[in-house]
This record gives sequence, structure tokens and C-alpha cells, in this order.
Amino acid sequence: MRSADLHNSDPPVTGAAVCPPAPLLARELTGRDPVVTELRQACAAAVGRLIRSGPDVIAVVGAARSTETWPADGRLDLTAFAPGPAIREEKDGPALPLPLGLAARLLDEGGYRGERTFRSVNQKEQAAACLRLGADLSRCGERVGLLLMADGSARRSLRAPGYLDPRAAGFDAAIERAVRDGDPGALRDMDAGLAYELLATGRPAWQVLAGAMPGRARAAEVLYAGDPFGVFYLVAWLAGGAPNP
Amino acid sequence: MAIVNRTPDSFYDRGATWDSSAAMERVHAVVAEGADIVDIGGVPAAPGSEVTIAEEIRRTAPFVAAVRAAYPGQVISADTFRHETARELCAAGADLINDTWGGWDGRLPEVAAEFGAGLVCSHAGGLPPRTRPFRVEYGDLMADVLERTLAQAKRAVTLGVDPSRILLDPAHDFGKNTWHSLEVTRRLGDMVAAGWPVLVSLSHKDFIGETLNAARDERLAGTLATTAVCAWLGARVFRAHQVTQTRHVLDMISAIRGDLPPSRAVRGLA
Repeated sequence: MRSADLHNSDPPVTGAAVCPPAPLLARELTGRDPVVTELRQACAAAVGRLIRSGPDVIAVVGAARSTETWPADGRLDLTAFAPGPAIREEKDGPALPLPLGLAARLLDEGGYRGERTFRSVNQKEQAAACLRLGADLSRCGERVGLLLMADGSARRSLRAPGYLDPRAAGFDAAIERAVRDGDPGALRDMDAGLAYELLATGRPAWQVLAGAMPGRARAAEVLYAGDPFGVFYLVAWLAGGAPNP
Repeated sequence: MAIVNRTPDSFYDRGATWDSSAAMERVHAVVAEGADIVDIGGVPAAPGSEVTIAEEIRRTAPFVAAVRAAYPGQVISADTFRHETARELCAAGADLINDTWGGWDGRLPEVAAEFGAGLVCSHAGGLPPRTRPFRVEYGDLMADVLERTLAQAKRAVTLGVDPSRILLDPAHDFGKNTWHSLEVTRRLGDMVAAGWPVLVSLSHKDFIGETLNAARDERLAGTLATTAVCAWLGARVFRAHQVTQTRHVLDMISAIRGDLPPSRAVRGLA
């Protein structure tokens, strides 16, 4: 009922690309070994789909310490993760929180030169606020593309950053199901407390996505799903309701 | 400082000294090899099955007492992050509390003060004990390391710990990714300059494994190289699995610095 109603009034989102905000996406952080080549390729492919969907603005969303809008010329800053001589600043511009910075680089590498807006969401933001932000972002242009920096739990194995939590698999499976089914609205009721315990830092961003695309995606494509280090990474493209230009 | 684990599952020795007679054999060996301190712990740093305070005490207190009885003059360090355990171990004869988890238990200095024991003030970035770093970031790593460790040292002095018995430890790998551990190594001189003696715990850690793509049993060269750099930059205490090799490195660095004459020099001198 709700889904159908909202679908009829869906804002003109061209679609959403989802990538994990993992520091190791930055090639220079993994040292001489590229480590996650396949994951990086999947992210590039998802962002390529997003750019080709012809948005007039791309809204980037990621969880961070605060809910705020960041400068559109913001850049990736890795010095907090790798102080010392290994990291060189590649271009001018204010430093972004890591998820947004990684997204900025993905857009740059994808050749995107259009308008962009960066929104961080407080890690503890309530679901209602996340959903509202998503709804607002979906209307921030005529044709809005979304780049969501979000992933699943970090407690999927004994070697995982957060060690093994048996609840992690089910939690992540629910995210994957919603994305594969092209039903991001299903993420609106994610359990914030459980997400926190599972180190699923992407929870607010998933709920922003639920708010921005409350109805069914026109198509859903998962480009990568895996947990090579005990953290659940999902790379996907969800095509929105806006027709191609 | 020689590591003697009273655990069945520590990452490097994997329970080699879980049996108490094997642990005492290890103490005999490391003392003979020249370890000035033996560091005795009963809880692994990695997450895993819980070790209760009672179990930690059961693993370590009788053993500390036995080491004290066998070596009245040996410095014994209690590797624990819990004040309850520290109290039992100091009562059993420990001289130093090696708190690797950055003062998570604020009552450790009280115990050190009560027993006249030393205290290691370390940096774990605020992470709770037995957790792994996950996307940890520092706006200014060395500032954070110094701020947290110096605050602990200052508080310890206020609570009555003898200032001459306080050490700082940047705690490689704790609350740090590999880049962070390399940076605290590179900038160890900043910590030495703060004026407190510096302890480093490097032995076979993951930052060495990741730097060299080396499995756990292939990290000795990396450990000793890092030991040499830290010694050159002024570290004073080195927590180690391999005592003989570590002593060789430290004596070599001392000789290069001019602090220690060569053991025997006749080459070209006859």
C-alpha cells in the first residue's frame, strides 16, 4: 500500500550507486599490493552507471561524526589514516570525511564534472531524520543521482575488525536482499542499536537511501558482494524512476 | 623485557608456556639470556573467549609468586589492564604494571602507588581492551599519542606513583593501522623528548607482517629492524619474544651510539 503510493509520487531520482566507505578503497593505503582490485573495479563500474544515468546533480551521502553539508570542491584526505610521507595531497580543496572523500575521488576518476553535493549523516542520526534527508535530497535537482557510501557489519568472522558476532550474517543478508530486490525502502526500519553493535557504520546512509528511493528501483544490479576482511561490502547500482534524458 | 604468556592462545607462541613448568623453563631461559624484566600476562590482546578476572589471576598470580621466589632480584612485570589482577600480582611480587590498553581501567595507578610499583602508560587510541582497530583515524597521530600517554603519566604521579617508575609506550598496533604504527616508529623521538623512559612492544606484530608480507613466524628480521630504529631514537625498554637476538641488536646500537664499548676489539689493533 505505502510502497505503491510512494512509487507513484517518487521524485525523479536517476538512480543510486552504492559503494563501501572502506579506507582500503584508496589505492595508496594498501601499500604495494592493490589488495582489493575487484572491489575497486566494481565501485568504478557502479559510479560509471550513475554518471551515465545523466543526473544534473549527484548527491553523495556517507556517515560521519555530524550531519552537515560539505563544500562541493571537497577532496579526499588520507592523512588521518596514513600520516607520514606516503600520502601526498593531490589537489586543493577542503578535506572531507572519509566516506565523502572516497566518493569525491570515485566521481573524479569516473570523469564526472557536473554539480555535486556532499552530505554527511551523524552516525547516531535517528531513522526519521535519515529518511527525511533522503527525501529532501531526492528533490534537490531535476534529475538527482545518488552516491551512497555504505556497507554492512564488521563482525562477520573471527578475524573481522569487531570479531565474530553471529547476528552479523542475518543483518547483512537483510541489506543484500533489499538491494538485490531493488527495494531500498525495506531498509527504513533497520535496527540502529544492532547496527551499532555490529559496527555497521553505514546504517544512516542506508536509511537515507530508503528515504530517497522509497519505492521499487526500476532495476537492481549487484556488482560486488563479499567480506574479504570480515566486513560486508556491497557494490550496487539501483536504477531510479527518472527516464533517461 | 621478555614476554612470558600464561595463555593457551596468544598470537605468537600459541600456548607454548600455558603449562606452568614450561613457563618456568622459559623464565630460566630468558633470565640466562639477559632479560632485565620478565613480563607475565594471562589475557591475549586479540578478541576471543572471555578471560574473567578470577581466571586471569588464577593463571598469573601463583606463577608470579613462583618467579619471585626463584629470582628475588629479577624485575617482574604484570601484563594486565585490570586493577584487580594488578593488585594480586603486585602482592605476589610484581614490580611493574604493564597496561597496554591505555589506562582503560582508571584504578591501575592506585595499585601502582599502593605497592610502589612502576606503571606503563600506553596509547590505544581510546579503544576498549581486546578490540581491533576499525577505520581508526587521527587528525594528528603523534599529538594524540602524546596527549593520552602524558595525561596518564601526570595522573599517575598525582595518585602517588613514583615518577621514576613511569614509562610511556606508543603501543604499536593498538588502535592503529600499519601506517599509524610506522609513523609512531618514525617519530618515536617526539615521545622520547617528552622526558619519560619509553617502552616499545614490537615483537612479530601485524604492522611488521603487513609491511613485509610476512607470516607470524617470518617477522623476526622486521621486528629486529624496528627494534634497532627505536633504540637509535631513544627507546629504553623492548618487549620481546627473542631475548638473545634483541640484546644483540640493542648492544650493537649502544656501541654505534658510543654508549657501550665493543665486547672485544682487536681487529687491526694487533
